[in-house]
Formats: sequence, structure tokens, C-alpha cells
Amino acid sequence: MTTGATSRGSVVAPGVPYVDAANVDKIYPSPKGAVTALRGVTFDIRDREFLSVLGPSGCGKSTFLKCVAGLTDISAGKLTVKGIPVAGPPANMGIVFQRDILLDWRTNLENVLLPVDFRRLSRKEWVGRARDLFALLGLSGFEDRSPWELSGGMRQRVAICRALIQNPELLLMDEPFGALDALTRDEMNLELQRVWIADAKTVLFITHSIVESVFLSDRVVVMTRSPGRVLDVIEIDLPRPRELNIRETPQFGTYVAHIRELFRQMGMFARSP
Amino acid sequence: MTGVQLVRRLFAPNRAHSILLVLAGAFLAWEVAVLIFKPPIFLLPPPSLVLGLLLDDIPFYANHARHTLGACLFGFAVALVVGVFAAVGIVYSRVLENTLYTLLVALNSIPKIALAPLFIIWMGSGTASRVAISATIALWAIVIDTVLGLRSVDPEMLDMARSMRATRLQVLYRIRLPNALPSLFAGMKVAISMALVGVIVGEFVTSEAGLGYTILSAQGTFNIPMVFVAIILLGVLGTVLFYAVDLIERLVIPWHVSHRGGAAAPTTTPSV
Repeated sequence: MTTGATSRGSVVAPGVPYVDAANVDKIYPSPKGAVTALRGVTFDIRDREFLSVLGPSGCGKSTFLKCVAGLTDISAGKLTVKGIPVAGPPANMGIVFQRDILLDWRTNLENVLLPVDFRRLSRKEWVGRARDLFALLGLSGFEDRSPWELSGGMRQRVAICRALIQNPELLLMDEPFGALDALTRDEMNLELQRVWIADAKTVLFITHSIVESVFLSDRVVVMTRSPGRVLDVIEIDLPRPRELNIRETPQFGTYVAHIRELFRQMGMFARSP
Repeated sequence: MTGVQLVRRLFAPNRAHSILLVLAGAFLAWEVAVLIFKPPIFLLPPPSLVLGLLLDDIPFYANHARHTLGACLFGFAVALVVGVFAAVGIVYSRVLENTLYTLLVALNSIPKIALAPLFIIWMGSGTASRVAISATIALWAIVIDTVLGLRSVDPEMLDMARSMRATRLQVLYRIRLPNALPSLFAGMKVAISMALVGVIVGEFVTSEAGLGYTILSAQGTFNIPMVFVAIILLGVLGTVLFYAVDLIERLVIPWHVSHRGGAAAPTTTPSV
């Protein structure tokens, strides 16, 4: 578990990024004039890389995730997944949203099996994997309970199981821990790292927490305020698995300070006159 | 919640007692008022007399109640099926929204009781016309609440379904319809009462049986106590029907917020 052991070979040719964004623009038409959410966004996500996109609220980072997920079209530029331009939600993808969006009328296990139902596959063949995921995320025993019987952190774990059920190559996470309290968030960060190390997937992780992004990622993409542009891409060279106390090391502090400085130059954290 | 727990909660001593107590109190007040003010019996008979009349000829009243109940349930069922299909059509089709929905709004602004004589001309004086009136009056509540329920789906829920490559049909029966159930039941609770109103209206216009018929024929002979028997039976019928829908709702959507009372959140957290 300590190595980045993988259960699959590379799915893209060497040197080819899993997700490739080149000069991506996203413009929303609106009655009061067009709103530019993304401008000239260019970066890539390598196969089996954990990449975070970090930016202030409303910088278009969630929009970018929706573009990769094929839930909304890009206005200009080029966006490919495995070398193929995105046109609609790709197979082999799992999404975790900020809210868990579990269906109250299904048990937790049935919620995790929702993608299986949508694909008209046999539940019987997937229930074993679902139970394994419950065990992996420390949810054993809660399979037949209802989502509304769980705490926020546990609900989000169920949502993660749901995203992982079909063993996707690409995992998209849109501020998945943003609604959780700080302690639960720490716990979930460790949990996610553990899951990722056990079975490395290509992860696009959206967050507005500097610490979270440095702690989890191989690389951090820093975005500017609206319209969102890429300000910097930072390689996080810290050994894994990372413990929570790595956040107190000077090396970690250097990354955080660097990113905070980027935000300061952007005009954030400015003292009000 | 298991069925046993459910029945226990619904007929919990406190709840049943308080309902009976309130009703008994009302009847007592009525009895006392009649004793004190002594109105002519053809204006306001005492409840003891009304009850005695009912007990004297239970088969007679049961037969009429059965007619009314049958037509009411039939009309309600028609309204439910037609209403849900219409709502799905309205939510999924722009054309239907612009035509059917507009027509329903216009239809609803007519007091539907005014249509009763027409239905009887079209469909005869049998049960069919009463079912049709009943269904027409009950339909609106079903449609409006189901449309609301189908539309108030969290947009993120739809995004999630789309990201899982769900088809439109799957989104309908796996997301939208279950999501609309609480709303649909709210509509059904209104509709069941409206369905009963529709049947009585139909029976008033023309019929050979039913509680509405009983009221009219008793009124014709100034048998006011009999009118009261029929009215009380209608009250009982309406109440039972309402609670029947309520019970079904509890069985079908135990997951909904309004029914979660007993469920406590687990206190154990999984270890990291």
C-alpha cells in the first residue's frame, strides 16, 4: 500500500496526458451580457495523477470540472480525455459533488449501486465490490441503513463509494469535503489518500483549501478570480503516504506560503481601507 | 419503520383517545344544546336520535354508503392514473405544457360542480357519470402537485444521473418519480376528499342509491334525522379515506422527512 501500486496498466500511451486542456474558454450567455467563466485554461492531468485545482470562490473551477465531465460544453479551445474531445459524459468516470446527493428512498448500498442500475447490469455481480468499498471506507454495517441515518462525513463516504463502484479510471471531485467540519475533513483527507494509494486513479480534485490541495496532490493548479485563468501549476514533492502532521513540516509550509503569496498578488487577503 | 410499529404509532392510545374525546365532546355539546334550547326535531334532532336511527337500519345505510364509497374510490383511481400521466407529459413535453396545462388551468377555474348536469347527459344516470364527475373534481390536485414534485428535483441530482449516463426514462422512474412521491401524496390527500364531493354532487343531480341520494330523498320527506345520519356517515367516510391515504403514504415513503420521527442517527462512527 505504500507504493503507488496500481491495479491496471497505463491506459494512455507514454507521455500522453489523461486529460488535456488547451486554451479552454467557457462563456455563459446571460440576459445582462455574456459571463466569461474560464479564459484560456491550459493544463493537463497525467494518468493516475492526483491533481487539485485551487482557486477562490466563483473562479470557474467547478465549471472546468463540469466541462471535463461532459456536463457542459466548452466555448472555445480543446479539451480531451484520453486524446478524445469531450462530448458528453465519458464512460469510466466517477464524480463526487460537494453535496453527497444520495437518494433518500434507497438504502446506502442501493445508492452505491445506482450507476449499476443505470447501466442495466446485474446487481448481484456488483454487490460484492460494493461491500468491499463499504469496508474500505469504514462503512461496514451501514449497507442496509438509509442515507438520512448517517452523519455528513459518512454520507460523503457513501458518495465516494458510489463514484468508485465501477472502478473508474477518472475520478472527479468537486469540493467534496467543503461542507464538512474541519475534523471530519482531516479524516476524509487521510481516507481519500489511503483509497487513492491502494488503487491510483486519475483524480481531478476541486478545492478552495490551500492546505487540503497541498496535502492530497501530486500537482496543484492555482486559478485566478473570475474569469478563471491558470496562474501557476505547482509540483508537490512530498513522500506518500502523508500523515496529517506533515502539515507542520517546513517543506509543507513553503508550498502553502508560496500559494498564499500567489493569492495575495491576485489581490486577495488585502486589508480593507 | 416496521408495519407493526407503524400501526402502533397510528393507533397509539394518546392519539386515538384524543380523537375520540374531541368527537365525543362535540356530540355531547350538541345533545346538551338540543336539550336546553329544544329546537323542533325537523330542524335539529339530538345526536342520540340520529345514532338510534342509524343502528335501527344498518344494512340500509351500509348499502348506500357502499355505493358512494365505490364511486368515490373509482373516481379517485381514475384521477390518480390520468393525473400522474398528464403531469409526466406536462413536465416532459413543451407542447403538452402549453396545451394540456393551459386547458387544465382554464378547466379548473370553472366550478366543476357546474359540469355535473352535462356529464349526466353525456354518460347517463348510472355510476359512470358519477365516477367521471368525481375524477374531474379530484384531477386538479393530483396534476398540480405531481407537476410540482416532478419539477422540484435538485439540478445536481440530474447532473449526477447524467454523469452516470442515465437515459431520460431512467431519470424519470429512478429519480423524478420517487422524488415526486411526497408531493403526489399531498395531492392525493386533497384529491380523496374532492372525489367524495364529486360523487355526492353526482348523486344530488340524479341517482337511485348512495348517501347523496339518501340526503335528497330524506329531505324530500322532511325526514331530517335521516339527513343527519347520512351526513355523519359521509364525515366518517371522508375521515377514514383521508387516514387510509395517510397510512399508505407512511408505508410507501417511510424515508420522507415527515415520517422519520422514530429513526435515530447512529452514534457509532467508523474507525479511520
